Amino acid sequence: MDLSRRGFLQAAALTAAASGLTVACGGSSGSGGTKNGKDLTLWYWGGALSDKVVAEAKTHFSSSVKLTSASIGGDFKQKLTTTIAAGTSVPDITGIKGEDMASFLPNASRFLDLNDLGFKKVSSQYLDWKTKLAQTKDGKQIGFPIDIGPTALFYREDLFAKAGVETDPAKVAALVKTWEDYFQLGTELQKKNPGTYLVNNIGSMFDMTVGQGTERFIDKNNHFIGDQDHIRAAWTTSVRPYTLGLDAKINDNTWNAAVGKTLLTELGAAWHALDIEQAAPQTKGKWRVCPMPVGPANQGGSYLALPRQCRNPEEAFKIISWILSPANDARGFTDAAIFPAAPAAYSMPAMTGPDAFFGGQKIIEVFGPAAKAVPLAYEAPADAAVMAPYKTELTNIEAKGKKPDDAWKDAVSQAKQIARRQGVS
Amino acid sequence: MSSPPVTGSAEVPQRLGGPVPARFRPRRTPPAGSARPRRRGPLSYWRQYLAISPFYLIFAAFSFFPVFYSLYLAFQRWDGMGTMQFVGLQQFRFLWDDPVFWLSIRNTLVIWVLSTVPTLFGALMLATLLHSVRRFKGFYRIALYVPNVTSIVAVAIFFGAVFSNNFGLVNAILGMVGISPVPWLSNPWLIKLVIALLMTWQWTGYNMIIYLAGLQAIPNSIYEAAKMDGAGPIRTFFQITIPIMRPIILFTVIISTINGLQSFSEPQVLFGSNAANANLGGPGQAGLTTLLYFYQSAFLNNDYGYGAAIVWAFFVLIIILVAVNWRITTRGRKA
Amino acid sequence: MTAVDTARPATGGRRRRRPRGLTAHIILVVAVLVSVFPFAWTIVMATNTTQDIYKSPPKFTFGSHLLENIRHVLNTIDFFGSMLNTVMVATVTTVLVLFIDSLAAFTFAKFDFPGRKLLFGTLLLFMMLPLQLAILPQFILMSKIGWVGMLKALALPSLANAFGIFWLHQYIQNGVPDELLDAARIDGAGFFRQYWNIALPMIRPALSFLAIYAFVNCWNDYVWPLVVLTNPGHVTLQVELAQLNVGHTTDYSMVMAGVLMAALPLVIVFSIFARGFIAGATEGAVQGS
Repeated sequence: MDLSRRGFLQAAALTAAASGLTVACGGSSGSGGTKNGKDLTLWYWGGALSDKVVAEAKTHFSSSVKLTSASIGGDFKQKLTTTIAAGTSVPDITGIKGEDMASFLPNASRFLDLNDLGFKKVSSQYLDWKTKLAQTKDGKQIGFPIDIGPTALFYREDLFAKAGVETDPAKVAALVKTWEDYFQLGTELQKKNPGTYLVNNIGSMFDMTVGQGTERFIDKNNHFIGDQDHIRAAWTTSVRPYTLGLDAKINDNTWNAAVGKTLLTELGAAWHALDIEQAAPQTKGKWRVCPMPVGPANQGGSYLALPRQCRNPEEAFKIISWILSPANDARGFTDAAIFPAAPAAYSMPAMTGPDAFFGGQKIIEVFGPAAKAVPLAYEAPADAAVMAPYKTELTNIEAKGKKPDDAWKDAVSQAKQIARRQGVS
Repeated sequence: MSSPPVTGSAEVPQRLGGPVPARFRPRRTPPAGSARPRRRGPLSYWRQYLAISPFYLIFAAFSFFPVFYSLYLAFQRWDGMGTMQFVGLQQFRFLWDDPVFWLSIRNTLVIWVLSTVPTLFGALMLATLLHSVRRFKGFYRIALYVPNVTSIVAVAIFFGAVFSNNFGLVNAILGMVGISPVPWLSNPWLIKLVIALLMTWQWTGYNMIIYLAGLQAIPNSIYEAAKMDGAGPIRTFFQITIPIMRPIILFTVIISTINGLQSFSEPQVLFGSNAANANLGGPGQAGLTTLLYFYQSAFLNNDYGYGAAIVWAFFVLIIILVAVNWRITTRGRKA
Repeated sequence: MTAVDTARPATGGRRRRRPRGLTAHIILVVAVLVSVFPFAWTIVMATNTTQDIYKSPPKFTFGSHLLENIRHVLNTIDFFGSMLNTVMVATVTTVLVLFIDSLAAFTFAKFDFPGRKLLFGTLLLFMMLPLQLAILPQFILMSKIGWVGMLKALALPSLANAFGIFWLHQYIQNGVPDELLDAARIDGAGFFRQYWNIALPMIRPALSFLAIYAFVNCWNDYVWPLVVLTNPGHVTLQVELAQLNVGHTTDYSMVMAGVLMAALPLVIVFSIFARGFIAGATEGAVQGS
């Protein structure tokens, strides 16, 4: 009963060491055993899949397995990481957000290779660049694409008309072939519409300009390339609206209040249409969409994956390929504004209708081609972490009036440090 | 049950506050055990050990173990799932060179001072006032405690709307009296001020309740005795209330230090609502507290080793601060 | 003897006392207004639509959409099922915390035994470490004992409430006079009877506060329940509520309705336990007159 200090520390040291061992060889105990379980669980988050399609999948497969689904709110990634690290209570099928995929790839061994289960046969139905982003260097396919976020230029048709410039999507697209064209148009629009701005903040500009390229911050050989010309050029373009006075500098939650009022255009992914619609319902019919200057980028879009502990891989794969078949994927667009990763869906009636919020424009005519034109760029696991300082410094320019050149230097040195911390050379 | 001799008014009720002892001052060493024979083995204290054992068993499993585990993590590189790699003191070397870490410490300390001081003074003042009034006590108590149960998400939306640069209520009011808009949520100092305001708002009522519970324990007879001696309200407050409340005040200072330095969700929700903005802590990272930085490193960047190093470096800092605080608050008692 | 307020010995005649009481009320009312304003605004948001919330200036009057928002919440999530889970966990946790903590705090405050300082010091020290990092090891622990997905996995870690022991320890130092315990011991009361019959009744205000603290904490706990409760339909209120707040398109008026519905029980629990503080005060007043 003697609870001495030494005894306590010894016990603590032992437990700490033991825990390290537990984690190090975490899930390896769970692998063997039968793989034809009758119960399957599916984890996703609200809005990741059409709830109706998931419900139908349950009845559709009820003869072979019992599918239980859990819609998980809040920090999905943390929950998934914790259970995968511990190797217990792991779901049989799980959603993975597009932005998290890169960080799961180094641990591809925790997931089943979908190619072994027959993904190769259907992969041609899905956009190649999206599929490749969920592939390891040695060709293991971890994620089955659900949806994507091709970007375009949303603009206020009424404010364009007031300024006397073209309002037809095709003609506006022809006007803004380059970013410089776009800024020039912005200056013109602003003159006729005092108190309005072209972009909401330059951080989101940077997302777009980086996303248009074929290289990001770290190359395939794990070298830091965030100080090279392609990033510098994206940075310079992003700062332009600020120097031209076209930047609304919105970095807080006032975007919702600004969007129906002072913003002339929005650069965003297909799902962003719903954000605008919800924030500014009074502007119904006044918005239009056209291709983004230079070309599209991608923002968001998720995957389904099968963790290694999956109790019935064959059935699970059948279920996900059914849920994500082009026809069901198209329904996801109607039910939950999920833009399908399967191009065949773009010509289905569910997606080709006119959109009243956009004055009856068939927006698929803009997003469909954009989806196919998104460039493929290698995304390293540390990419998001390395990108963060650039966006911080862009905000510093807006909030503190920091000189863009100083901001660039600080961003690069910060990014280099983070890269080193994350094992990037 | 027999009562010891009572000084002062004898009709003090038995239940709460209890009979008034000759000395009501706290003792530094609990004396109860010392009345017994001196030399005894630890086994003879089995009742005491038994009494604290439920706590310590759970504590060992769910606090002790995880804490040492995180210390172990601070010497590894780990993405949360794959194999760990021992890196020695590398994480701490990175920490030393990381300007964002030091910035986060500065932010945390500024926010902590800006929030703790008004919170505790306000709480003590409100508790004293509330203790002195007779009517609407129950109402005040509930109404003043409400901030502590208000959802932080709601509060963040509210503060965001009220202090918003472009469309905020405060700037609208300032505009009406001809003052140009103040950049509440983009100026580095004002960001901290808004976060501190939010925390003050949320924790004043909570600390007030703690003080109130302490004030209720002071028997009226002590005040009556003071009144007989002709002491005014201010003298009574400083010479009776404050000394008796010292352990409680010490408690709130320590707890506020711990809570204030661990501020995390306030800046997170205040600036996290913008999906396009991956940065935590708002413009210029002016609201990036150390714990928020830990969260970003571990859970967003999957760098659990670095996150653990941040927490442990910060832990050492808190201990130093608490020790200093303890010294300051207890100094008067020793003199 | 005239009625005298506790902390305010009468120094002058009746004329002086009145305005001072009024000042206290005025300050308190101002504080109350500041305190409840955001909560009231939560109600305003819950009765309006999301578009109203983001108007500029925001709408500050009550709307007529409350029932619609509540219905929306009830259709989206299993509100009452998850609330039942939460009530169960919070109640059990609170009762156990009160018992475990008061017993330990009493022991620490009033008895000396080998290792006392060290044990108490450790407790204080560990309170200062943020336990966000503990989630992973705690989860591994739970999976080893096979409790993942069970409600008891939720309650257990929060039973070791260092805050509660520290709080009660500080309170008992003053609130329970040594002389009383000495007297009880002379009368032959053992350790447990000293705790149960003497200390416990005397620290009721402190216990009331701890009960509120433990209950509110358990009620609002989010990350740990999210991680450890893997079984859908078997989660707590906060985990369910988080489902309202997902996706690119948050319906804030619905979220606020949910938040409000989830906070009301807390206000009720608070007003019940807060009676624990008032007992001493009323007795004092009765005794004074």
